[in-house]
Amino acid sequence: MEEIINKAVKTKRLFNELYIEVRKDDFKEACVYLYGKKRAILRLMFATDEREIDTAFKIYTVFSVPGTDKFHIIVLPLKDDLIFPSITPDIPAAHWYEREIRDMFGLTPKGHPDLRRLVLHDSFPCNSFPLRKDWNITEPELKEWGKGLVQKEPYSFMKVEGEGIYEIPVGPVHAGIIEPGHFRFSAVGETIFFLEPRLFYTHKGTEKHFESMSFFDGVKLAERVSGTSSFSHSTAYCMAVERMAGIEITEKAKAVRTLLLELERLYNHIGDIGNMCAGTGLAVGYAGGAVIKEKLMQLNERLAGSRYLRGMNEIGGVSKDIFIQADDILNIINEVTKEYKDFMKLLTGTVSHIERLENTGRLSKDIAVKLGVTGVAARASGINDDIRKAHPHLLYDKLDFEAHTMARGDVFARMMVRAEEAECSISMINALLENRYKGELAASIKEIPPCSSALGYTETPRGSVFYWVMSDKNGRPLRVKFRSPSYCNWPAVPFAVHGNIVPDFPLCNKSFNLSYSGCDM
Amino acid sequence: MIKQIFKNLTTRKNTIDVPELLALSPESVAHFVNLQKGIDGIFNRSLRIRQIDAGSCNACEWECTALTNPIYDIQRFGIDFVASPRHADMLLITGPVSRQMELALKKTCLATPEPRIVVACGDCAVDGGIYKGSYAVTNGVSNIIPVDFYIQGCPPNPMQIIIGIKELIEYLKVKV
Ligand code: SF4
Repeated sequence: MEEIINKAVKTKRLFNELYIEVRKDDFKEACVYLYGKKRAILRLMFATDEREIDTAFKIYTVFSVPGTDKFHIIVLPLKDDLIFPSITPDIPAAHWYEREIRDMFGLTPKGHPDLRRLVLHDSFPCNSFPLRKDWNITEPELKEWGKGLVQKEPYSFMKVEGEGIYEIPVGPVHAGIIEPGHFRFSAVGETIFFLEPRLFYTHKGTEKHFESMSFFDGVKLAERVSGTSSFSHSTAYCMAVERMAGIEITEKAKAVRTLLLELERLYNHIGDIGNMCAGTGLAVGYAGGAVIKEKLMQLNERLAGSRYLRGMNEIGGVSKDIFIQADDILNIINEVTKEYKDFMKLLTGTVSHIERLENTGRLSKDIAVKLGVTGVAARASGINDDIRKAHPHLLYDKLDFEAHTMARGDVFARMMVRAEEAECSISMINALLENRYKGELAASIKEIPPCSSALGYTETPRGSVFYWVMSDKNGRPLRVKFRSPSYCNWPAVPFAVHGNIVPDFPLCNKSFNLSYSGCDM
Repeated sequence: MIKQIFKNLTTRKNTIDVPELLALSPESVAHFVNLQKGIDGIFNRSLRIRQIDAGSCNACEWECTALTNPIYDIQRFGIDFVASPRHADMLLITGPVSRQMELALKKTCLATPEPRIVVACGDCAVDGGIYKGSYAVTNGVSNIIPVDFYIQGCPPNPMQIIIGIKELIEYLKVKV
């Protein structure tokens, strides 16, 4: 560690975040050192436009070293020359982040193997970078972007050539009730040889939109980044803002948040396991999962007034004490536990179902590590990584739980990891309800300190989510960067489906259950 | 599996308590009766919906999916979600219409045979909702294609969507 710190221009420490500002020549070396020598995981990489404060664009790469609750953040300021050395050749997990930085800020990663646009589609004007502070665009240009007819920077799909290879384009509008995305299969007979997803159809300019509202209103937007992870997203966002403002939330608020996070995980995991049955045509399993999920959703509605637990989080704490309704929660959880056990028995006892899951959509550990896969998908491929364990927050250090892993990396493993985690969530909920917690529901925060920043994170049902917030001179948002788990996991899907047959694609896709909206920002 | 089938045959109980709204209020029962009548009358017992996500956060979609679960089970009224716009009577559109989805939405709409009904579902689809004003959205479906009916809520829960469809049918009765 010393080597990097000695070369640093500036270092800054804030809670468990260590910011190390380096020169351009040392940037790559520092990142590669952390990744190669320390086996650090790349959590997040982003740029900011700090020309107002510091006369520079800055690039932040956030690493966490396994075994320590610390984030090493390598910062690279870019003043006149808007080119930075790409770390993708050494750290493949950075490949999307760097392309995104190029799209949104116009900073070019030199040496990146694939400089096609990622976020913005073909008809978006060239040399126009939405996240720059001085960006503006004319109404006709915006209209033209929407019409999508003129290609400003044409996107070329990867071409696979050879005897018997043909292409199947699918989407963006799909057959089911799901989100939009385009998939291009290159198949040989029924077997998928190569898949290229083209996403970001639901790009809503969320990060820029955060900058137009106050930090306090931002909670509502964070809840609406990804529907089924509403509560985790808002928790991570609130945590970031609270850390920035330097306040510690009360034990009670922590308990409520932990409980709701686990409730969210539970309904998602059970719903996902049920959904996988839709992929294998097991209607009774699909219906069974949906019924248990609905029960939990209705519980959510009684607790929070929203089936997606919206409106519970606020900066400084929570808006309601759900421990008053502990009996209701306990009743439902007891019922659900029983039904869930029967449900899992039914699934694991149905050979036709299990056979479809086994050896389908295999993601090797090697690739998962290289691409920085997170959450259920990572644990099912044998990576023992769970933010609740790696960076304990809320009440997770007081709770007794295990991060479940499985080595086989197929659809079956992803189902079983979910199943075990769901049971784990049930026991955590029971444990949380046994105790009493002290403190107010929410601490009051009036003002956000100017020119400060902080990181917030938690584990969503899909994997880790990160928020990084920074305030400007007036205490308003200068930058809100979020990284949903789906953003890390999407690039892994093509590897998982390689060699499978096209009809198994929906099943593989459901086993990852990735959010498009969360990924597309 | 056999146990499950046996249980289904021998017990007459619902798997889950019907949502309060459904079970208690006589109005909601009336909603359902009206819904059934309307669909029988206007749509000849079958209403086919094509759902399109035009940039939603996915919560609205999950509520639409929930409509087909054993609790709400809208298939019993002859309503179903179909895979192709060519089979649809009605387009149910969610999300604020992101600019990158605009073209796809228009094309899907054109692929739906006339007469078609276009419903904007969720606050986002109505006027952009929380995303109103962002550079990458067009602030609601009506800015892109003509909308016949709106269902509000963020997300509208399954019951609200059912009530929305019922109201739509009543509105159609007056119109037709
Ligand atoms: S209306 Fe609400 S739930 Fe529906 S897409 Fe918009 S933000 Fe999501």
